[in-house]
Amino acid sequence: MRGRTGAPATIDLSVRIYTWLLAAYPGPFRAEYGRHMTQVFRDVCRRDYSRGGLSGMTSLWARTSLDLVRTTAEEHIERGIEMNREKFVRWSGWALVAGAVLFAAGLIIGSFDSFDMDPIGGVDAVYEISQIVGLVAGQLLFVIGLLGLRAGYAGRSGSLGAGLLLLAVIGSVVSLGGLLVMSSVEEGWLVWMGGYLAMTLALAVFGIVALRRRVFSRWNFAPILAGVGVPLLFGIGMVGVSSVNGQAPEWGAFLAVVLTSVGLILIGYRMQAEAGRTGEVAA
Amino acid sequence: MAEVAQRPESFLPLTPAVFHILLALTDGEKHGYAVMQEVEEMTEGKVQMGPGTLYGSIKRMLAAGLIEESDDRPDPTLDDERRRYYRQTGLGRRVLREETERMAELTALARRKRVLAGIGSRSIPT
Repeated sequence: MRGRTGAPATIDLSVRIYTWLLAAYPGPFRAEYGRHMTQVFRDVCRRDYSRGGLSGMTSLWARTSLDLVRTTAEEHIERGIEMNREKFVRWSGWALVAGAVLFAAGLIIGSFDSFDMDPIGGVDAVYEISQIVGLVAGQLLFVIGLLGLRAGYAGRSGSLGAGLLLLAVIGSVVSLGGLLVMSSVEEGWLVWMGGYLAMTLALAVFGIVALRRRVFSRWNFAPILAGVGVPLLFGIGMVGVSSVNGQAPEWGAFLAVVLTSVGLILIGYRMQAEAGRTGEVAA
Repeated sequence: MAEVAQRPESFLPLTPAVFHILLALTDGEKHGYAVMQEVEEMTEGKVQMGPGTLYGSIKRMLAAGLIEESDDRPDPTLDDERRRYYRQTGLGRRVLREETERMAELTALARRKRVLAGIGSRSIPT
């Protein structure tokens, strides 16, 4: 008995069922490859039918059913992971931008506080509270942003780049912890600065990797910009090059804040712009 | 977006499907069914890929730059022009070579440990 296409009815029916089963794949995959998969399945049907008749078709369907179950699961998982990663990288990019703005604003507004060491309150309360909110919220957003940076770009940064991004994440977490305990633990500010220094140093070195490997589609200098200011400031402060008392000059601190913020804003902007293209490329 | 330079080693080890597809495309461009047939012939029927495995692998290999679609048709009169043809890229060739070398090294290691002793005349080239 012949089907509508002139092929045996068994083949026509099998192809129709297979085409119907393709609905189990994710839409974009089905749209791109569904027609070609049907064509290949039709070719295999003809071959196996001519070789083994109905028993050949039974064997083909046994293999194809397993293939369908396994690969539909694979494609759905892969699609889910890609969608989640894409969203996370995009939003963490914005988090990095917002964090850089808040952090810089907190530091700059805090610099108007005329009495650094007094308890919170009094005439400078607005400056003090703005500084605390800006620093804590900004640092929290850095943690999220750097986690997204690692999730989106570690795969294309090599083992050194991925390690540096992990160090930057750890540094940002330590720094956030230092900020949170600063009011109750005397050494809190040391933890904060140590974490912040580790975060920025890791970013600066990652910038060299980014330039060599072209990790971003453009602005690969941005991590160096984000990371170089604070370590330089520490260096100047430690050797006392620019001041009599060994402290870094105020304009140096301002420059470091601006460099870090601009660098982080550029990285964040690139992350949200490239979020759809940051998937791992392993075959 | 600028193409990101990928080192062949970063793709290793390959899945059996990806390795066989790359190997099938060594002789030139082929469409999906021809790749499937070639793999079955090469492996004497031991490896039979379903359409889902074939096109799932092709999708990932295209994204990774190991293969590319070809506009050329070996013989348009003999072929359905709606078929898509695929061919290896330079990166795909390098990855296949690296993977083959990796497997050869492993086989050599197994030979030194006499893992194959007693298997008889069946030999695996190193």
